[in-house]
Amino acid sequence: MVVTRRLAAALLGGSMLFLAACGSGGGTSGPVSIVFATQGLGAEGDASKKAVADFNKANPGIHVSILTLSPTANNAYQQLTQRFIAGSDTPDVITSDVIWPATFAKSGWILPLDRFHLNTGDFFAGQLKSGTYQGKLYAVPWFINAEGVYYRTDLVSSPPTSPQQLVQEAKAVMSSNPSIKTGFAFEGAKYEGVVTAFLNVLGGFGGSLDPSKIDSPENVQALTYLKNLIYQDHVSPPAVTSWQESNVQDQWLSGQAAFAMNWPYIFQLSEKAGSAVQGKTGWIPFPSSTGTPMSALGGDDLVINARSKHPDAAWKFIQYLTSPSVQIQRAIGAGDPPAVKSAYTQQLYSQAPYYRQEQAVFNVVEPRPVSPVYPQISEVLQTQLNAALTNQTSPEQALAAAQQQINGIVHGSGG
Amino acid sequence: MGAAASPEAELGPVRPAAGRAFRRWTMAGAFLAPTIVLLVAIAGFPLAYNLYNSFLHLVLTEPGTERFVGLANYRQLVASGDFLQPFIRTSFFTLVSVALEFVAGLGLALIMHRRFWGRGLVRAAVLVPWAVPTVVSGMLWKNMFDPGSGFVDWGLGALHLPGATTAWLNGVWTSWTVILVADAWKNTPFLALILLAGLQVIPDDLYEQARIDGAGVLRRFRHVTLPMLKPAVLVALIFRTLSAFLIFDVIYVITGGGPGSATETLSYVNWRAFLVETNFGYGGAISVALTLIALLIALVYMRVLRLET
Repeated sequence: MVVTRRLAAALLGGSMLFLAACGSGGGTSGPVSIVFATQGLGAEGDASKKAVADFNKANPGIHVSILTLSPTANNAYQQLTQRFIAGSDTPDVITSDVIWPATFAKSGWILPLDRFHLNTGDFFAGQLKSGTYQGKLYAVPWFINAEGVYYRTDLVSSPPTSPQQLVQEAKAVMSSNPSIKTGFAFEGAKYEGVVTAFLNVLGGFGGSLDPSKIDSPENVQALTYLKNLIYQDHVSPPAVTSWQESNVQDQWLSGQAAFAMNWPYIFQLSEKAGSAVQGKTGWIPFPSSTGTPMSALGGDDLVINARSKHPDAAWKFIQYLTSPSVQIQRAIGAGDPPAVKSAYTQQLYSQAPYYRQEQAVFNVVEPRPVSPVYPQISEVLQTQLNAALTNQTSPEQALAAAQQQINGIVHGSGG
Repeated sequence: MGAAASPEAELGPVRPAAGRAFRRWTMAGAFLAPTIVLLVAIAGFPLAYNLYNSFLHLVLTEPGTERFVGLANYRQLVASGDFLQPFIRTSFFTLVSVALEFVAGLGLALIMHRRFWGRGLVRAAVLVPWAVPTVVSGMLWKNMFDPGSGFVDWGLGALHLPGATTAWLNGVWTSWTVILVADAWKNTPFLALILLAGLQVIPDDLYEQARIDGAGVLRRFRHVTLPMLKPAVLVALIFRTLSAFLIFDVIYVITGGGPGSATETLSYVNWRAFLVETNFGYGGAISVALTLIALLIALVYMRVLRLET
C-alpha cells in the first residue's frame, strides 16, 4: 500500500511538472513565440538562420525559433506527419516540398491562406498551382526549382528546338569527340527523379501528367523516345536506368556528357573555378516542336500549421521570407532561385548571371499532379517508367498498367 | 521447463506452511516481472495492436475515416498481387542467399579453425563486413557494380572476360546478382562465426579416435564434424533464414525494388504500404502475414532442432 501511495504521488508530481511545462508556451505576456520547421544543413541552413535572426531583430513582438528537419525529403515528410498526427500546435510555419501541400490540406493539417489575400501575381504560376487544393490556396512559394537540359555551348552550335534535333546533335558530338561518352544523361532509376525526367520530356510531345490521361498517345510517344535513347539511338548508356541526379551531375561536371537533365544547382557548380565545363554551360527547357516545353517543378513552399496558436505572426514571418530583398539574399547565399518574380533584378544578375537564363526554364514550370494521393501515384509511375526503360515491358503496356493502377488509387481515395 | 517446477520440489515433504511457498512464488514473480512487462511492452503489445489495426481502414492522411472493415485488407492483399509475386521473390532470395552464405561461411569457419600464423588477425578481419552498416555496404556494392566507375566491370575488362560492359542494375537477374553478392558479403561472416564456435567445442579425442580407426579427411568430416556441428548449423540457419526472409535494406539502397518491380520483396511492399501510403490497416495486414510466415519458419526449424538433439 505504501508503495502504491508513493507511486501515485510520484506520478501526480510528474504530471504536474509536465502540465506546467506545456502551459509555459501559452503565456500572454512577452513576445509571441513561433517555431519554423526547415532543413538546416550547409548554405541553405545558414541562410535560414540569418533570415530568422534578422526577422527577430526587426520584430521585437515575435520570436521565431528553428526546428531542424531532415535534409532527406522522405524523412522530413515523416517527421512532419508524425507531429501533425499527434495534433501538435508547433511548428507554426513549415517548409513543404511542392508535392506535399495537397496531402496536408486534405488531411486538415494546414491552414487555408485565403484570408491573408496573397498577391498571387508576384509568383510563378506553376508553383502557385502546387499550393492550391480544391480552389483554395494553402501554400506560399518560397523558392522555385525546375528541371531543364544542360548543353555544352562549346560542342553544340545551337540549342536544339525539338526532341529529335537533340538526339541528332548528341550523336554528332559523340562521333566527333571521343571524350564525350554520354550523349544525353538523365535520371532513369526507380525513384522520384524518373517521374520528373518523364514530365520534362512530356512537354516535347504535348503530353501531360494528368492522372486521368497517363496512357495518352503523346505520353507513350515520350516514353518511347526515352527508351529509344538507350536501345536505338545509343546516346544514353543502359546504366541511366539506375542513375539518380547525383550520377547525372557527375557525368556533366566531369565533362563526359553533351546533354544532361538536371536542376538549377548544377549551374552554380558548373561555373565554379576549376570545373571541366566552366564557361561551356547552357541551360534550356527540354525542347518541344509540337506543344509548349515543360519543366518539372521542384522547390519548397511555406505552409502554416492548422493548429498554430499564432497564425498572424506566422503569416508575418512568411511575408518577410518572400520579400524580394530576403529572396535575393538567399539566392546569392544558398543558390535557391527566388520564387518571387520581382527578385530577378540587376542586383541578382550582377552576382549570379546564370539566373538570367534560368528564368526561361522557370517560366514553363509544370507541377507534378497536385493530389493528396500523389505519393501513391508516384510509386506506380516510378515502377512502370523504370520497367519500360529497362525493357521489361513496352511503353504502351507500362503506361496502360500505370493508368489502371492510378485509376484504382484515385477512385479508392474518393477524390 | 523442468527448472521452473523445482522450487516447490526442493521444499520437500516438510511444507511447514503454505506461506513459505507462497512467498517463494511471489519472489520469483517479482524477479520475472520486469522481463514479462518488457516482453509484453515491446513484443506483445505491438503485435496485438498491429493485428487489431489490420482489421481497420486506417489511413493516416485521411483523418476521421477509421472504421472496422473485417478481412478487407487481407482480401485486398491477395487480390492486388501485392502478396504472391513478392512472396515468390522473397522465397527465392531466401533460399539462394542462405545456401550461398552457408557454404561460404562453413568454408571460412573450417579455414579459421585450423592453426596457422596470424589466425587471430584473420578471425578479426573476417568480422569487419558484418560490422559495416547494411546501408553503407549496400551503397559500396552499388558503386562497385557501376558500369562507368565501378570495380567489377573494370576488372572483367582487364581480365578480358565477358560482361565487361554490363549495366548490372538494368536487368532482372543481374540486379539479383548484385543484391546477392552484397548480402553474402555482409552476412557470411556471421555464419562463419557461429559455425566456428560450433567447431571449437568438438573434442579432439573424437578426431583422434576416428584417425586410429583409419578414417580419412573426408570421412572424418562426414562422420565427426558434420554430426557434431549440427546444433550450431541449425542455430546459424534459423537466424539467417529469418533475417533473409525479412530482407529490405540492401534492396532499398541498391535497386529500390527495380528494375520495374522485379526485386520488390514482402518487406519492401510492407514498407510502401506503411510509409508511402501511410495505410496502417493494409500495412498491418502485410505485417501479420510476414509474422505468420516467420513463425512458421521458426517452428519448422525448432521441430528439426528437437528431433536431432
